[in-house]
Amino acid sequence: MQPKIKIAGLDFYYNGRPVLENICMEAFENTITAVTGPSGQGKSSLLIAVNRLWESIEGARVKGDIQIRFGQTFQNIYDPGFRVPELRKKVGMVFQMPNPLPMSIYKNIVFPLKLTGGHKKKDAAFRVETALKRSFLWEEVKDRLNEDARSLSGGQQQRLCIARALILNPEVLLLDEPTASLDDTSGRMIESLLLEVKKSCTLLLVSHYLDQVKRIADKGMRLSRGQITQAW
Amino acid sequence: MVSPFWDRAFRLFAWGCSLVLMGTFLIIIGFLCIKGYTALNLRLIFGDTGFWDAVVLRRQVFDGLFPAMAGTLCLILLSVVLAVPLGLSTGIFLAEYASPRVKWFFSFVFDILAGIPSIVVGLFGFSITLFLHQSFFDRLYPCLLISALSLAFLVLPYMIRTTQMALESLPASLRLTAPSLGATQLQSIVYVLLPAALSTILSGIILSIGRCAEDTAVIMLTGAVATAGIPRSVFSSFEALPFYIYYISSQYADHSELINGYGACLVLIFICMNLFVLSHFLKKRLSQKLLFRH
Amino acid sequence: MGMKDFFLKSLFLGACLLSAGIALGILGFMVVLAYPLFAQGLFWDMLITPWSPGQGLFGVGPMITGTLCIASLAVGVSVPISFGVACFVGILHPGGKGRILKFVVEAMTSVPTVIYGFVGIFLMVPLVRELFSGGSGMCILSAGMMLGLLISPTMILFFAQSFTLVPQNHLDAADALGANTVQKFFYIVLPCAWKSMVTGLVLSFGRAMGDTLIALMIGGNAAAFPESVLDPARTLTAHIALIIAADFDSIEFKTLFVCGISLYAMTGIGVVLARGLGQRGRA
Repeated sequence: MQPKIKIAGLDFYYNGRPVLENICMEAFENTITAVTGPSGQGKSSLLIAVNRLWESIEGARVKGDIQIRFGQTFQNIYDPGFRVPELRKKVGMVFQMPNPLPMSIYKNIVFPLKLTGGHKKKDAAFRVETALKRSFLWEEVKDRLNEDARSLSGGQQQRLCIARALILNPEVLLLDEPTASLDDTSGRMIESLLLEVKKSCTLLLVSHYLDQVKRIADKGMRLSRGQITQAW
Repeated sequence: MVSPFWDRAFRLFAWGCSLVLMGTFLIIIGFLCIKGYTALNLRLIFGDTGFWDAVVLRRQVFDGLFPAMAGTLCLILLSVVLAVPLGLSTGIFLAEYASPRVKWFFSFVFDILAGIPSIVVGLFGFSITLFLHQSFFDRLYPCLLISALSLAFLVLPYMIRTTQMALESLPASLRLTAPSLGATQLQSIVYVLLPAALSTILSGIILSIGRCAEDTAVIMLTGAVATAGIPRSVFSSFEALPFYIYYISSQYADHSELINGYGACLVLIFICMNLFVLSHFLKKRLSQKLLFRH
Repeated sequence: MGMKDFFLKSLFLGACLLSAGIALGILGFMVVLAYPLFAQGLFWDMLITPWSPGQGLFGVGPMITGTLCIASLAVGVSVPISFGVACFVGILHPGGKGRILKFVVEAMTSVPTVIYGFVGIFLMVPLVRELFSGGSGMCILSAGMMLGLLISPTMILFFAQSFTLVPQNHLDAADALGANTVQKFFYIVLPCAWKSMVTGLVLSFGRAMGDTLIALMIGGNAAAFPESVLDPARTLTAHIALIIAADFDSIEFKTLFVCGISLYAMTGIGVVLARGLGQRGRA
């Protein structure tokens, strides 16, 4: 198994207060690495350090090294020349609360394609279908792609967000407590789809459900007060 | 603890104030309606000229409100075209790009701009015209363009504030969604944030339109006159409804002109009320849209 | 950052700078045009001397007094009424009755000042003339009361909004202790809201000082220091509207810039005060 993400000496400050201290870890390709621990201890901050989303949040500051292997070579994503929008096309993210955009299901999924531009309509329709099939949502919505995405149930919305994150075929997928706002059945469905997704992707999963972690994670670590206290 | 007596007194006071306010307002509207209803017919607007002749500009209207209404309409269009892009861009900058200190500073400056009395803005417009007239453009006089420019200065702070507020009150999760999908800041603004804030911004535009329709102080110094017909170009003087009302109040020649004045008041109130209702329902639509959950 | 991104960001910044430039440019322009008066050391005197062109006196003292009197009366009339209506709408009847009233108040904010002026001339002035036999009816009293009516809807909405600033858990705590609506209002809401209310008051005062038409149409426009509320008075704003037709090179015309600067300064101080109270004014 080859390492995909290497994190060294990561510090995360929020409004001057340290949230993560000297985090060092590795995530391997095509695995699910779980990050667990009590609430408010920095798990989500670790994720947004990997896709640099903290830069859109006031008061957040990060120091350290994160290297991700794209292709054969590792690249430090905090290099001065590194283009952040490009990073986020290869590193997708799913949030705890589903956040469909206020538009139709189809337009939601196609949105990342629209951002990169230069895709054709026929090509787009096929890619939307593929993404929805990967997130186990296609059968349920194939006849109502033009309906507002917010009319879906919570579990469906979350699978929509996963499909939206998958359409550009990212190499890494960050998931911040993806099943926390869902019922058991929806949660389990998402767990099985994540097991499929990991075949072509590296997953970093934040979760405080220990049984979920036991079910699907290959590796894991526990964060307590901003430091890693356990790893397996 | 508040004794029952004070409790009752307080409630009585609140009721009393509300009745006084409502009563006064109704008296004003009622007074205008009673005095002006006889004027409410097509003659008020078109004088002796026929409806179609006037609207297709075949013949001039001399005794009616039509030129004033046309003037007000041209004024509104021109001011909005000037103020909206500038206000929108400024609001976007403040909401999305400015650091907190920069934002504080500019907000202060725009609060001051919002507080400037309209007559001072009119004075500024007039003085600029004077200055340009004496230095470069000796054919430039107070005109539609100058008035529209000055009105644009007047409504600019409203546009800025509305845009800024509309963008800043979008839910935090919406702000992070587009960037997390690889959008640049500009893409996030154009594809997600602005469309979501559109209803509020639109209601702000309607508010600005209302402000342009009702203002008198600015235009009386920068180009509005009592008789000018339909504005021929942006460099000509023009008539406007609120100015007509002001003019009639002191210069009415006979009783029928005064009645026309009352009629004009009713027309102006009607226009402003419609704009208000439109703006109100746009704002309601937005709050419904944002609250839409499954 | 891509080319397009950078270009548009610069465009937005440029728009912002232009807008700010306009705000400051208005002041700058007036200062420049009033410069001869500064140079001759006349400016500060003008603020207190009377206006009597026949005697070579071009002071705007009477106008400043007029503005302050009429605006003060307007605010004095408006505050209690606005407070009462705001309590009705925000505290006592937040449901059906209050919502209708609030809608009507919001609609009132869209009524133009010229309408109030017009009705003032033909309804209020004769009334004041009758009630206080003597004088023409065009006086501080008429103008002040009409102006008070004009600024009330905005003040009501501002007050009502201030009442919503109190954190919900304070109200919940009061409920749990058995307080009724009125008690909650006086002991919890008001201490929280009073600062914001004062901001609204200051801003409304600024608005009252800046109004032109009501003072112009029903204030009487006498350029002398008023001695009672039944005296006619001229405000800075009305003065500008009246003198604008004068010859541009004359001293009379220059006094307009003195008026403009005074108004700018007065409303500017109002904004600073409102900010100093820690609340952003959102009238």
